[in-house]
Amino acid sequence: MTILVGYLDTPEGRAALDAGIAEARLREQPLVVVNSPRRGAPVDDAMLGPEQVSEIVDRASDLGVRVEVRQPLHGDSLADTLESVAREVDASLVVIGLRHRSPVGKLILGSTAQRILLDASVPVLAVKASG
Amino acid sequence: MSTTSEPGRQQTGEVDILEELKAELAQDLDEERPPHAGPLAQVAAGLVTLALGLAGTVLSLGYGLGSLTEPGPGLWPFAVAVAVTALSLAQIAFGRSAQDTEQFTRSSVLTGLGVLSLVGLAALLPVIGFEVPSLVLMVVWLRFLGGESWRMTAVVSVVTVAAFYALFVLALSIPLPRLI
Amino acid sequence: MDFTPIIDGFGIVLQPTNLLYCLVGVVIGMLIGVLPGLGPAATIAILLPITYGIEPVSAIIMLAGIFYGAQYGGTITSVLLRLPGEASSVVTVFDGFAMAKQGRAGAALGIAAIGSFIGGTVSIIGLSVLAPVVAGYALDFGPPEYAALGLLGVLLVSTVGNGGKLKAIIAAAIGLLIATVGRDSFTGAERFTFGNLNLADGIDFVPIAMGLFGLGEILYNLEENHKKVHAPAKVTKVWPSRQDLSDSKGAIARGSGIGFGLGVLPGGGAVLSSLVAYAVEKRRAKQPERFGRGAIEGVAAPETANNAAATSSFIPLLTLGIPANATMALMFGALLIQGVQPGPQLVDTHPDIFWGVINSMYIGNILLLIMSIPMVGVFVRILKVRPAILAPITALITMLGVYTVNNSVFDIYLVIVFGVIGYLMKKFGFDPGPMVLAFVLGTLIESSARQSLLIFGGDPTGFLTRPISGTILAAIVAVAIFPLVRRAIRAKRGEPAGAPAPTEASPAPVPDRETTEAK
Repeated sequence: MTILVGYLDTPEGRAALDAGIAEARLREQPLVVVNSPRRGAPVDDAMLGPEQVSEIVDRASDLGVRVEVRQPLHGDSLADTLESVAREVDASLVVIGLRHRSPVGKLILGSTAQRILLDASVPVLAVKASG
Repeated sequence: MSTTSEPGRQQTGEVDILEELKAELAQDLDEERPPHAGPLAQVAAGLVTLALGLAGTVLSLGYGLGSLTEPGPGLWPFAVAVAVTALSLAQIAFGRSAQDTEQFTRSSVLTGLGVLSLVGLAALLPVIGFEVPSLVLMVVWLRFLGGESWRMTAVVSVVTVAAFYALFVLALSIPLPRLI
Repeated sequence: MDFTPIIDGFGIVLQPTNLLYCLVGVVIGMLIGVLPGLGPAATIAILLPITYGIEPVSAIIMLAGIFYGAQYGGTITSVLLRLPGEASSVVTVFDGFAMAKQGRAGAALGIAAIGSFIGGTVSIIGLSVLAPVVAGYALDFGPPEYAALGLLGVLLVSTVGNGGKLKAIIAAAIGLLIATVGRDSFTGAERFTFGNLNLADGIDFVPIAMGLFGLGEILYNLEENHKKVHAPAKVTKVWPSRQDLSDSKGAIARGSGIGFGLGVLPGGGAVLSSLVAYAVEKRRAKQPERFGRGAIEGVAAPETANNAAATSSFIPLLTLGIPANATMALMFGALLIQGVQPGPQLVDTHPDIFWGVINSMYIGNILLLIMSIPMVGVFVRILKVRPAILAPITALITMLGVYTVNNSVFDIYLVIVFGVIGYLMKKFGFDPGPMVLAFVLGTLIESSARQSLLIFGGDPTGFLTRPISGTILAAIVAVAIFPLVRRAIRAKRGEPAGAPAPTEASPAPVPDRETTEAK
């Protein structure tokens, strides 16, 4: 069993990572951090550089949590990719960050968080950015 | 031309570095490429060009070679076609071990679909104008070949076709066959 | 030397419309240089139909801008992502990416832009001085010289190009064969038309170029959905430091010379000159081991050279009417579309085009310097655009564009056919460049060869006894047999490299020999 965190380098993503590390320590389970950029373009804002990845690893290890960072590419649906990783690593809990969206923004862009919440086969912990 | 004045020996050294560079580059770029297709593809490529060469040779003989004082219409094509034939034979004989081909992968199907959609556009264009076939082409490429979301597909394809309409029909008044 | 036409040329460039086309050209060039996928040749091919609607000078200014603009743009991805946008920036990857990892991406991009600017400008000055002189000499050329020169051009482009030489020569020979389709201009006999009226006038250059370069590339890129995704890179401090500038002074100077020299040679071009410039710097360096680990000369030299070469490769086109590489073959085609025959008479018959294009490059290089230093962040951003979104747009531009040329659906089918051929050629390791170049030169070579035979009264030795055509033919023989000779010598000695160049066996001028040697 593992704890799975959907991570982006945003305040919401960092909040999710913190919550994920806390849960992993509590449940004494290893942590899997998923950082999934969109497939296709040569550069994607979501993609973490190697320095950022090792930063995450260092931080979790310092707190005594075993951590693995995965960077699978996603196509049309990030929720599907996250779900398939969750199955693969036998996640007991999925942690995601929630962002406040205006109703119009949600209409145009849809909500990945909502799809994850509805589709996930395991409990989902949704956290908001602090402050 | 600063390179011409250098003595031959130094040039040789330079060539070595160049070849090292090229090897390094080839290796670098190989990571991104699909696996090469092997000797069969090399021979097949040679056979196709050989067939072209032979066909050209036979046909140009039919056009009449004439003489050197009065070259016929077939003389030049004949010379070129013979060259194609000979080079193709060399390719079949010596080119088998080269690794410059690429295997067809599952995503090659995408290219096939892409070509079909283009043929469809060409066939429908004179019949029903350019707007609908263009829109269909955009949708096929974005949604099915590119894996974009329906939302993205709809926005990009409609905007693109509208932009083409504005540019070709309204701004440049180019006589494209059209529905509206 | 009479300077009036040169000054008139500036007058033409400074007209607002031409300035605008120059700007549009360099911006497009910069963009496609940054984006991996479509290269300048493909882009120029796709945009050929547009040139029908605009003035010849403006059209060529724009297309030229695309060509040298792409040299600037190609640097950005090489440095930031280790992903060369253009073949001529491949070698920049080594030190450029190493510099980026050390946090000196800005300095690398800055020095590349400055080097490109200096290399380009030096090369334009060389072009302005040399081109009229060469054109003057070339006025004495007769059909035998043109036949020989055309053949040499085709052969050099094939042997220096990417991929297998044998396949490149096969592609070129087939290009020559395709050029014979249609009515023979001497006898009126129809060749390879199979009774099809659409083929009687020969195959148009536009659908061939658009298919082989444009659509072929688009179809090929459709497959590549599995490319790596990179983290966004931060570019800060694009101005190189004083130290950086003084370190790369020599590299930029030598790069300009190498680029100008190799760019003039058929087939030399931007790719080869960037490699040679890098190799020269590495050999000259006191600590060659610095190269590949972030040596700024390793960025400055190739980037200077590729831009200088891109500029000087206009010389053979504008003065002899012989395109030096595939992109120049497209320029040649674009000029023909406009009813302008490139050749030694161009400087006299169309001084507006000749000097307009040359002088536009001064302006274009200044524009590019401005765009690539302060505005680099803007261009980096377009790397986030997915190729899947651009592909159908470019495909549609190609399809509708070719239709507008003759209002002919047959042309659309031709583009699709040549697009499929171009795609298959890429899959099977044939470079479409030599084929297009040979197609462009095919008619010239055939008609000059036949005219020569008439002049010589059917005696083919006439080619050898005329001094210029004889020399060129000797060069052809040298180019053709040189690789074989070298292989034989190597096999004899049992060593992989380092065989001295057999100077006595090659009457070709030294640069030619070097070109073949470098492969």
